[in-house]
Amino acid sequence: MSATSLPASLLARIATLVLVVVFFQIGVVSEVPVFGVNVDLSPLVVAFVGLLCGSTLGAVTGFAVGLLVDLALVQTLGVTSLIFTVIGFWSGRLRELRDPQAALAPLLVGVAASAVSTVGYSLVEFLLGVNAPVSLELLRQIVLGVLVNAVVALPMWAVVRRLLEPGMPDDPRRRRRRAYTTGGLSPLSRS
Amino acid sequence: MYDKTVRRRRAVLALLVVLSLILLTAYFGESSGGGLHSVQRGFLTVVSPIQDGANKALKPVRDLFGWFGDTLHAKGQRDQLLKQNDKLRRELIANQSEKSSYQQLLAMYHLDNRLSVSDYRPVTATVVFKSPNLWYSTVIVDKGTSAGVRLNDPVINGEGLVGKVTQAASDGAQVSLITDSSMGVSARIEATSATGIVQPKVGDPNDLLLQYLPANTSVNLGQYVVTSGTLSSPNDSLYPPGIPIGQVTSIDEESAYKSVNVHPLANLHNLDVVQVLTSASGALPARLSNLTAGLATGQQTSAGGVTSSQLAATGIGK
Repeated sequence: MSATSLPASLLARIATLVLVVVFFQIGVVSEVPVFGVNVDLSPLVVAFVGLLCGSTLGAVTGFAVGLLVDLALVQTLGVTSLIFTVIGFWSGRLRELRDPQAALAPLLVGVAASAVSTVGYSLVEFLLGVNAPVSLELLRQIVLGVLVNAVVALPMWAVVRRLLEPGMPDDPRRRRRRAYTTGGLSPLSRS
Repeated sequence: MYDKTVRRRRAVLALLVVLSLILLTAYFGESSGGGLHSVQRGFLTVVSPIQDGANKALKPVRDLFGWFGDTLHAKGQRDQLLKQNDKLRRELIANQSEKSSYQQLLAMYHLDNRLSVSDYRPVTATVVFKSPNLWYSTVIVDKGTSAGVRLNDPVINGEGLVGKVTQAASDGAQVSLITDSSMGVSARIEATSATGIVQPKVGDPNDLLLQYLPANTSVNLGQYVVTSGTLSSPNDSLYPPGIPIGQVTSIDEESAYKSVNVHPLANLHNLDVVQVLTSASGALPARLSNLTAGLATGQQTSAGGVTSSQLAATGIGK
């Protein structure tokens, strides 16, 4: 999707989605541990915006979500932005290059985004220096976090798609489906 | 046209990555009074009322999710509490017979001179947000500098030590929990004089490490670890002595120093209300904190009128 052709309604929908998800994440989801870890909706939203809207919008959304999270939680500014920018861009490129149609594609993208988020965060923290001893339990927490995120990936994909698709001007999948239901273009209807 | 799109896409990515790196480098390099930290505090000040409102509005949703989890764990907790209740009942019977002699000893040694928590002017605060990050064990509370909360103020709840204030805005503050990777608390095993430093084990929120205990220290499983009332570093906050931190779960004697694993007493997963010990100006603990910080950096300080004999009487710096 070209950046110059972005409709204002789509941008407004993304901004609303980002604000609601970030505040819902830190206000509710973070308070409810599942198997000792927390679901993290932020990387899922960034990845799914990229998957629907392309790499440029995915990267910009990732940067904005990261900045908002770092500001709201008083964390080191720039770390989350950097990681989420990469996630948003990468998922957008996946859509532009492969346009995955499989039903489980969002699940795999969500798992990959969650893994990149937690592992990337740990790497950056190691690079910045850690004074305290690091437990091997961290690995278990990372794996558990990714698995828990995998459970919510498909419902989250449905929410993001339902919210953003009406604001998108040109969706190849919708166009493709329409071609087979209008009668004239389907090879089956000609026979 | 295609080249233009590709160039624009790459330019946006490069711009955002560079911007993130600039932010990260500048934030990491500046002091807590720097520009970006000020922006962050300003943001916290602006969104604190929104966070507070959202927290109250979303509490039913949170409680609903929490109810499912609580129900799953209720049975195990009940069995554990029943065992604990039996143990406590036995201890109570034993303690009652020793109570009278203990009170006499207490009077004899003037233990009532110990500082109590009320001397630290506690401010009750509600937790409004919690970080989901494995590396940042932090919460945001709804009381800030307008309520007397300041940087490095200790934070406790009914179960024990919770953490300390690491950022303070006018109507909100960030509290780093004792499981945060940046924390270190001077502590001792209860009923001994052996002190060490309690640090978190990053990635394991249910485990702390009490390090640098003398090798000859006698430690038993189940003993309580409490704050020692001394500083672990010049920039640390002075936690009141005797605040419970956790219980010893295992002992490592392999190195020159003894270290023990400690299970935190405070349930950090389910913080709702905490107390910030604001150590208001003029209170003895705040003065001692200033004085010891000055001594550690080799500076001369008036320390608000605290004399060296008063410092010696507390045992700090020995």
